[in-house]
Amino acid sequence: MSAAVSAVEGRELFRSFGATPALRGASVTVAAGEMLAVMGPSGSGKSTLLHCLAGILVPDRGEVWFGGQRIDTLGEGARSALRRERFGFVFQFGQLVPELTAAENVALPLLLDGTHRRAALAEARPWFGRLGLDGLEDRRSGELSGGEAQRVALARGLVARPEVLFADEPTGSLDSVTGEHVMELLTNATREQGTTVILVTHEPRVAAYAHREVVVRDGLVGHLAAGRAAAQTAGRAEG
Amino acid sequence: MIRLGLRLALAGGREAVVRLVITAAAVGLGVMLLLSALAGINAVNAQNQRYAWISTSVEFVHPHAYAQATAGKPAVAPARDPMWFELNTGYVAGQVYGRVDVAATGPDGPRLPGVARVPGPGQYYASPALARLLRDLPANQLADRFPGQQVGTIGPAALPAPNTLMIIVGDPVATLAHQPGAAKVTSIETVPPSGCNGSDCVAGVGIGSDGIDLILSCVAAGLLFPVLIFIGTASRLSAARREQRFAAMRLAGATPRQVSVISAVESTLAATGGVAGGFGLFYLVRPAIATIPFTGAPFFTSDLSLSAADVAAVAVGVPVAAAIAALIALRRVQISPLGVTRRATPKPPGSWRVIPLLAGMAELAYFAVIGRPATVSGQIQAFLPGFLLLLAGLVVAGPWLTMVGARLLARRAQRPAALIAARRLADNPRAGFRAISGLIVALFVTSVAVGVITTMASYRTGPAATPQVRNTVVDDFSDPVSGNFVGVAVPGEMLARLQGVEGVQGVTLVHTNPLRTWFTVRAGVHFFTSQAGLASCAEVAHTPVMGRCAAGAEVASVPPAGMSPMLTHQSSSVWAAAAYPAARLAGLPVTAIEVATDGAAADNRVQTVLADFHSADGVPTTIAETNAYNSANQTLAMEQQLADVIILTSLPIAGCALAASVVSGLTERRRPFSLLRLAGTSLGVLRRVVAFESVLPLLVVAVVSLGVGFAGAALFLRAQLGYSLRAPGVGFYGIVAAGLVAALAIIAATLPVLKRVTGPEVARND
Repeated sequence: MSAAVSAVEGRELFRSFGATPALRGASVTVAAGEMLAVMGPSGSGKSTLLHCLAGILVPDRGEVWFGGQRIDTLGEGARSALRRERFGFVFQFGQLVPELTAAENVALPLLLDGTHRRAALAEARPWFGRLGLDGLEDRRSGELSGGEAQRVALARGLVARPEVLFADEPTGSLDSVTGEHVMELLTNATREQGTTVILVTHEPRVAAYAHREVVVRDGLVGHLAAGRAAAQTAGRAEG
Repeated sequence: MIRLGLRLALAGGREAVVRLVITAAAVGLGVMLLLSALAGINAVNAQNQRYAWISTSVEFVHPHAYAQATAGKPAVAPARDPMWFELNTGYVAGQVYGRVDVAATGPDGPRLPGVARVPGPGQYYASPALARLLRDLPANQLADRFPGQQVGTIGPAALPAPNTLMIIVGDPVATLAHQPGAAKVTSIETVPPSGCNGSDCVAGVGIGSDGIDLILSCVAAGLLFPVLIFIGTASRLSAARREQRFAAMRLAGATPRQVSVISAVESTLAATGGVAGGFGLFYLVRPAIATIPFTGAPFFTSDLSLSAADVAAVAVGVPVAAAIAALIALRRVQISPLGVTRRATPKPPGSWRVIPLLAGMAELAYFAVIGRPATVSGQIQAFLPGFLLLLAGLVVAGPWLTMVGARLLARRAQRPAALIAARRLADNPRAGFRAISGLIVALFVTSVAVGVITTMASYRTGPAATPQVRNTVVDDFSDPVSGNFVGVAVPGEMLARLQGVEGVQGVTLVHTNPLRTWFTVRAGVHFFTSQAGLASCAEVAHTPVMGRCAAGAEVASVPPAGMSPMLTHQSSSVWAAAAYPAARLAGLPVTAIEVATDGAAADNRVQTVLADFHSADGVPTTIAETNAYNSANQTLAMEQQLADVIILTSLPIAGCALAASVVSGLTERRRPFSLLRLAGTSLGVLRRVVAFESVLPLLVVAVVSLGVGFAGAALFLRAQLGYSLRAPGVGFYGIVAAGLVAALAIIAATLPVLKRVTGPEVARND
């Protein structure tokens, strides 16, 4: 994986919540098409880093760049449009709109972008086959298992073919087998589409799917060795 | 466990306190509205009670009818010295005033309310509003009607409303005793107009028992029901968040019973806070509510009182009801240590629900086709079940209609906002409908009333308020007891005074008719014919509102009472010639005087001149005033007022209930909405979801209830009176629009909550 073209970059990011600092000069660069795992203990600032890189939060200090454009200086409207049109998101749980069917939930980003309902659903349905969700298109979120709901959320995150997928603990509420399955699907789907992935997790096994891992500790980013090797190291250390 | 519940609610962190405060505030608003409705009912009765003394002479003029009508009511001990008492009305500047003439025959007479003593000859007491007019208008427009000196102001005890125009004039016994309308009374009436039935026991003032029943049923159906629905919705605010917390408590070992107790304690605490706040709010807004002319006249602030039973019912009833509602709500969900699950997806409402509505429509349509039953009781038996079926039918069919409408919308929706809103309504149409079920009742009741009132008013009242109608004063002479026309002599000096009043354009005298000829007018589809009076065609030519004489006629057969409001739109009438010499007309007694003037000040001056003349038999009135204050029209006006007040209050109340359900819905979907927002969905889209979910049912229900109400009114009018429904005036649409705007504004006030509850902190994986 070449890191020559940077898709997303955070430079010297500072962000506090009241008197509590979450980021204290964190810097990170993610290359186009790269999957980066952001690890760290609870409260280390990894979710805040992801939110700053995605334009959800504006850092108190520092710069965020995406595709050669500085985005932390954009207004809320422009950042929302960026998130809607060029980014995708997968969160830990509770992201499906309960009133919509699984297919409509997947189609939601397209509907929000103004795509006609029939066309949006037509684009959403193939994802059910790709993610092993055949036959679940018309179910509501309450009728799906945790793993199924998470795969639907993954499909929703990718259906609009985003340039960057931000995944915040995407397997955090799943058992290890289901979590691995979701991660395999995520890895395959993003690789097929050439999507850049920024993955926040505290599980080394999940981080091992990434090309590269960084660790956030006390609001600063430290770099680890690449992918699975690092996971094995971490696993041994914990064991 | 109760102490734990209290501690959790009060010391359970910022979120728990905010939840408690929001719920208490919403319940407080509902309690304020509830107290206002209850106090409104008390105020109507209190105001009506103060009309009692005005009817004093009736008891003594119709003793037998009165005794029958008030059987069982406590009698007042008679005073030793009787008092002469006469009630008259008069008009000034388009408003009616009450004039009570009294003459004491001794020191131990009946005591009048609101005044220190019975005024002596040449003295009078005026109400504050009339005193202001006496001060502000030139004497020849008002004060000259009451020769003498003002010795005081009439106090609130004798005034139905703060703006009542009332005067109590003292007369010599010898004068008053000879007035045909005066009665010798030994007590002051204490039975209010609502306390006796029949025209022989009230003086045509205040609200009769039928009117009071109408007000009470309208308030109950139109206001109390929506308010109770709102309080119910408000007390269950944030239920979803609470249930999640209860699941955590179950995980920590709490039994379902303990959770129930804690839930009931929290709800009761919020409701108790709400009740306390509601009482405070009520006393804060009470002066403003008193100015709403619910009965056509405003109230004194003190009229809006609460009985001990009202206070106890609200203070105890609301918290108890909130606790019971919390327990019932808990039974609908399964709170296990692993989380909250709904017991079952609610069964969709069946199409059978539309049957009562259709049955009600069919029943009224049947009578519209075959005609009304012959007897009054038959008519009541025919129409009342029809309207009750329609009302119940709307409430029963509401969830089904909501579901059908929402499913249709969901099928066709292209935008996510409409889709999400339609799905939510279709999933649980009962919940969607519950928030607005109060509104459906209020709007149905008012649309039936407005439909019937507008149509009846359109058919039954003649004149539009043209300048001619407004500015023509009619003084017709009739015996106040028998109602028969009285022929009086009009001295030439009197006529000259009238003609000399500034602004008078013409005077027509209607004389008795020795020829016994008849006149005929057309009123709508009906012809009305009666014995005529005679008038000079030269005079008629100068009072155009009277119509005109047939060509070449010098004397014509005209209505003997001048122009009654029912006939004034016949101003184009052509009166047939009567074979009576014009020169001899002056020798005939006069039954009515008609004076055309050029404006309101001239009206007042003419009325002042005429007030001196034969005041026992006639009340000089402009046609517009007679029309406005005729009892049928006053009843219609009061009902219209009632309908307006109910529309203007029930829509905002429904808005409050919808706003409460919006907040509940947002709290339930806080996380998915927040995550959508983080993923770039604009707040505008989420706002549209919320707007669709609340505005859609509001508008649909408004249209359906108004439509069904007008349809019911149309069928009733066709069956009962053969009338076709007339569209309400612009004012009605204005009132509905104002109510809708207020409701929408209340809903819009919840939108900032959306921004707050969908902040990025929700995305944290807690």
